[in-house]
Amino acid sequence: MKRRQGWLFFIIFLLTLSVYLLINYPLQLGLDLQGGSQLTLQIIKEEGNVTRDELEAVNSVIDKRVNNLGVSESNLQTLGGDQLILELPGEQNPLVASRVLGKTALLEFRTQKEGTSTDLKTLQLQRLIIKELIEQYTLAEKSQNDNNLKVIQEDLKDIEQELNYSSTSNDLYGKLIEIKKYVDKEIINLFIKTDLSGKDLINAGRRQEQTNSNWEVLLTFSNSGGEKFSEITKSIAGTNQLLAIILDGESISEASVGSQFSSTGITGGSATISGNFSAEDARELEVQLKGGSLPLPIEIVETNTIGALLGSKNILKSLYAAISGLIFVGIFMIFNYRILGFVSVLSLVLYGFFNLALYSLIPVTLTLPGISGLILSIGMAVDANILIFERIREELYEGNTLTRSIDSGFQRANSSIVDGHITTLLSCFVLFLLGTNFVKGFAATLGIGVLISLFTSLNCSKTILRFFTTYQSLRQKNLYLPRNNFSN
Amino acid sequence: MKFNLELIKNKKKIISISTVLILLSLLGILYSTFNTSYKKPINLGMDFVGGNELRIERVCEGECSNVSPDSVLENLREIYNNKNVLNNIKLQFQNNNKLISIRTPYLSIEESNNLITNLDNIIGPLNYESKDSRLIGPKLGKRLLTNSFTSLLVSLFAISLYITIRFDKKYALFALLALFHDLFIVFGIFSWLGIILSVEVNSLFAVSLLTIAGYSVNDTVVIFDRIRENLKSKKEGYNETIQLSVNESFRRTTFTSVTTLIPLLSIILFGSYSLFWFSLALSLGIIVGSYSSILLAPSLLLKD
Repeated sequence: MKRRQGWLFFIIFLLTLSVYLLINYPLQLGLDLQGGSQLTLQIIKEEGNVTRDELEAVNSVIDKRVNNLGVSESNLQTLGGDQLILELPGEQNPLVASRVLGKTALLEFRTQKEGTSTDLKTLQLQRLIIKELIEQYTLAEKSQNDNNLKVIQEDLKDIEQELNYSSTSNDLYGKLIEIKKYVDKEIINLFIKTDLSGKDLINAGRRQEQTNSNWEVLLTFSNSGGEKFSEITKSIAGTNQLLAIILDGESISEASVGSQFSSTGITGGSATISGNFSAEDARELEVQLKGGSLPLPIEIVETNTIGALLGSKNILKSLYAAISGLIFVGIFMIFNYRILGFVSVLSLVLYGFFNLALYSLIPVTLTLPGISGLILSIGMAVDANILIFERIREELYEGNTLTRSIDSGFQRANSSIVDGHITTLLSCFVLFLLGTNFVKGFAATLGIGVLISLFTSLNCSKTILRFFTTYQSLRQKNLYLPRNNFSN
Repeated sequence: MKFNLELIKNKKKIISISTVLILLSLLGILYSTFNTSYKKPINLGMDFVGGNELRIERVCEGECSNVSPDSVLENLREIYNNKNVLNNIKLQFQNNNKLISIRTPYLSIEESNNLITNLDNIIGPLNYESKDSRLIGPKLGKRLLTNSFTSLLVSLFAISLYITIRFDKKYALFALLALFHDLFIVFGIFSWLGIILSVEVNSLFAVSLLTIAGYSVNDTVVIFDRIRENLKSKKEGYNETIQLSVNESFRRTTFTSVTTLIPLLSIILFGSYSLFWFSLALSLGIIVGSYSSILLAPSLLLKD
């Protein structure tokens, strides 16, 4: 008896602790409950698997970019070996984040090959025309002007002839983009790689140009980067070779270096890119350059957005479901098992508190599937009680004393309970290992629930029951069995 | 309140019921594979094929006006002028015209925002706080499908292994047979739901199958445990002992199913719509699972 009393105090202690934890460390709610956006980023690698180092490197670049974007309370985590999950709580538009994160932002500096000036000029002109055509296409499509579309098609054919390249895309827009990419590539081919790249930057900034409303992006090199830059500019200063700044395979600026720099090159460790940037473009480029380039390209493969109002509705609905589930299960148990049923209701309440307390301790972020795992595990927790109570009933029918029936009831139900819990835990384990983020939430709460129910149904119920049976008035057998079939 | 299920007498009936259910499921799966637009054993949802799902509420004073989906689509077509955004677009109004729900093939975030703006212009104002938008790329979809499939295989394998170690061969075989029976029938029911009501299955469906597997095996194990225990202290014949054991565990198995079904029903009635089909799949699985644990698996153990 003394040992049971010890358990009783231990259980009361755990309950107090749980309440304390829940008050001081509120539960973390997932985005489907508080509103917000979630982006899944897939790392793309053509051959082989993404290594741990590569994942870390991508993670750190993305992390820097997100921080520089200034989104509040964002959360970035890796999923599996080659995915990242970015959560943006509240009403933050995922569009900006997706634009900034999706680009590799590989910055290169190249010098022009000698004797290619005429080629470059032709290509620059063609690039200008293509850009113009793309703009016209958007306008023509909006106004559904078929004549204009035809003109664009003609112009495109002319350029294709000049380039001696025919596009393979099906629709006009695809063709325009394809040709533009081809021209970009041809332009870059006229330039030679240097050893200066985005890695040599220590900072990036932006400012509005003085003469017009366009923006420019400022680059600050590291010491060695500054030296490289001056070497490179020195080598082409005063010639008609240009310096190209290339971002993700597209030249965004081609500039000449004046002859006044031919003795030392451009010193001072900084450079400016002025390429007709809008304020938004400049900000995005700034953030990307600050974070460095991605070692592997990424693709945004999933976006979930949930409004705050819907989130709070989801909380309310889950609460209704959980509470009504608990109440009806409680009624069912008390109706069928009398005092035993009441004991199982008490241990269910304990079960609920312990679960929630563990969520705030680990911590487990509560999501909709997570809540359904919890609600479902109520059934599991009650199942253990039912197994035990059925055994106790049988023992009572056989005419055993209450104390003995309770003892052997718990003992004999033990193996079935453990079996059942193990099979469910196996499923949870697999789900947790292989599942998506969404599924993991369910597996986590169901798994935790199953473990806790081992403690509450085996130990807490027993302790409470023992405590009840110390009162003589609670020891009558008809409180444990429905009266009508007691004589059975 | 002692139960007396005449298992021995009804063995044939029980086995024929299960056979009919399995054949019906098979029929659904075959019909779905060959005779539907999606040509798959089951109607795969957005999680597995990629796409864009959007639900958003309109702001209305009082009742929302009646709008036909066709007229909205007509307006959208004018704006988009045959762009692929409108291929396979599905648009519905729910909750007295308040809730707009749209499915399209995969869109970029930009295109999706654009679509919402256009909708706002046509039938706005919209309540952005009520927005629920999901964009899943086709690549991720394929991956989720293989992931779900491997999860199922791995955990079925783990459960089989556990049962084979825990019981001797005959018991293990029948417990697993009952398990596959349950999973197959739930799968079949959702094949039919796909054909008749175009219900789609998503990654939560795979989760529900896994959970059903755990439950079904658990139920069967409890009954088999009881049979084993009673056979050791053999007072009556083999078949009679099995029947007795089933009747002894009948209350427990039905009660457990009821206490698990109650919370699931609460989710179906009060919970969020995204959990509706999930809870329904689980409920069906638990009902079929109790049937197979109480009646089918022990009947298979009976000797002729």
